[in-house]
Amino acid sequence: MFPESFTFSIANWVNGWVDSLVTNYGDVFRQISDTLLWAIVNLEGLLRMAPWWLMLAIVGGIAWHATRKVTSTVAIVGLLFLVGAVGLWDKLMQTLALMMVATIISVLIGIPLGILSARSNRLRSILMPLLDIMQTMPSFVYLIPVLMLFGLGKVPAIFATVIYAAPPLIRLTDLGIRQVDGEVMEAINAFGANRWQQLFGVQLPLALPSIMAGINQTTMMALSMVVIASMIGARGLGEDVLIGIQTLNVGRGLEAGLAIVILAVVIDRITQAYGRPRHEASK
Amino acid sequence: MKTKKALLTTLLSVGLLASGASQAAGWCESGKEVKFAELNWESAMLLTDVLKVVLDKGYGCKVDSLPGNSITMENALSSNDIQIFAEEWVGRSEVWNKAAAAGKVVGVGAPIVGAIEGWYVPRYVIEGDAKRKLAAKAPDLKSIGDLAKYQALFKDAEEPGKGRFYNCPAGWTCELENSEMLKSYGLEDKYTNFRPGTGPALDAAILSSYKRGEPILAYYWSPTPLMGEVDMVRLEEKAGVNKTIDIKVGLSKAFHEQAPELVAVLEKVNLPIDLLNQNLARMTKDRIESPKLAKIFLKEHPEVWHQWVSADAAKKVDASL
Repeated sequence: MFPESFTFSIANWVNGWVDSLVTNYGDVFRQISDTLLWAIVNLEGLLRMAPWWLMLAIVGGIAWHATRKVTSTVAIVGLLFLVGAVGLWDKLMQTLALMMVATIISVLIGIPLGILSARSNRLRSILMPLLDIMQTMPSFVYLIPVLMLFGLGKVPAIFATVIYAAPPLIRLTDLGIRQVDGEVMEAINAFGANRWQQLFGVQLPLALPSIMAGINQTTMMALSMVVIASMIGARGLGEDVLIGIQTLNVGRGLEAGLAIVILAVVIDRITQAYGRPRHEASK
Repeated sequence: MKTKKALLTTLLSVGLLASGASQAAGWCESGKEVKFAELNWESAMLLTDVLKVVLDKGYGCKVDSLPGNSITMENALSSNDIQIFAEEWVGRSEVWNKAAAAGKVVGVGAPIVGAIEGWYVPRYVIEGDAKRKLAAKAPDLKSIGDLAKYQALFKDAEEPGKGRFYNCPAGWTCELENSEMLKSYGLEDKYTNFRPGTGPALDAAILSSYKRGEPILAYYWSPTPLMGEVDMVRLEEKAGVNKTIDIKVGLSKAFHEQAPELVAVLEKVNLPIDLLNQNLARMTKDRIESPKLAKIFLKEHPEVWHQWVSADAAKKVDASL
């Protein structure tokens, strides 16, 4: 037994702090939430309004551009068609919208942070433990306070997804830039390139495969958060999985689960193809 | 000799197989554990812990509890992986309904009487709150039928043209009932049928709106600590609709058949609702953990639980406190 005289609890303190935050600043947070919501609602509206064949054509076009392979393109479009065929098209679009917004925010946060952390060892030593926390803290622990501040629905879902999905991108961007050959950098310095030229002309292009792998991981992790997102009122495929679980309707859960897998496979194949160097893809 | 031995082994193995059916030994005397569902809402937590103490100290049972959400627990109950589900809201879950129809689970007694569900709004929405400087935004709101006028008040940020009704978490049976009600009251085009994914999410939404003094329209039920903490008004429904809920102690079929002496106790278990609400409030306000509160409760209110148990068991439990 751990001696009782040494024990303490931060629970009351944290509870009080969350309480006062909600009571005093709740409305401010709601305004931030409404702005973000506006973007998601519009994107979702657009995706859901677009006719299904147009969406398939667009995805097919992107797939072809990325992979340059007929079989992959047909397979990708075929799989998405299958999701529509089991009646989950609308939910697929809702999930896609949520995931896209979460991924865009992750990229906007992740890549700059990754670049900064590659430049500064001090920042890196602060950032890494933070990333560990973000990836391992059970999401419901921070979700409930986020819920109370931002309201139930899509916004807290996106927050949770970004917190969980951004770390791999930050890590891999950092890694990719640090792995750029020192001799290449010396040569660039000798040519008198300034920092921006170094970054955009050499470091980022050479780190691109690593960064694309990071974006790939981010989207995958964003998709794995879909069910958690539905636990806090976000619509989409996760909702069907949740209902499947909560009513022991295994079949319905599996259908929606497979639809998530398909979405993941499609995005994975496309982002991976972009991550490969061009000449390799055309081989 | 040999045949005798063979006979003995057969008898023994038959006896072992059928030992479940032998009534003489009783469930606990034969060393079997009584496993409870470790439910995750407060009233059930307290009830479970009270029953655990009673069976453990009073009847010498080995007790244990397994954590999980109510659906998994109901499922475990139907396969006798657990034996007691202390607070079953009869009719609220498909899993329970099916298992009960198949005779795999049995509900007994009335551990809590007076539970009610409905559509709630904070009192300040109707009456205002001078202390918090909140105006009465919907003074004429009394029944669910009146909601048609107030959709702008309960605005849904995700679909600005409509109001938002916080339904039951997705997958609960009450969710379907509420969806039907939205239709039958003609509110379907005026309110989004918003399903929070989980119970805690719904709690957080209500509490957060309440603290900020914002209007919210949500399904909820009582007795719950949340209802003790916030002042909400239940909207009236059409005349003749009865929304009180039948709560029973859920038992697995095997336990119900093989432990009649314990079933007799569980049938009598009842926590008066006022007393329960007081104790639930203590749980959230003073942050007393449920197992500790259960012991305090047993100590403070022997008059309540002495009626459930035999005089002998009552003595034993008293001695242990």
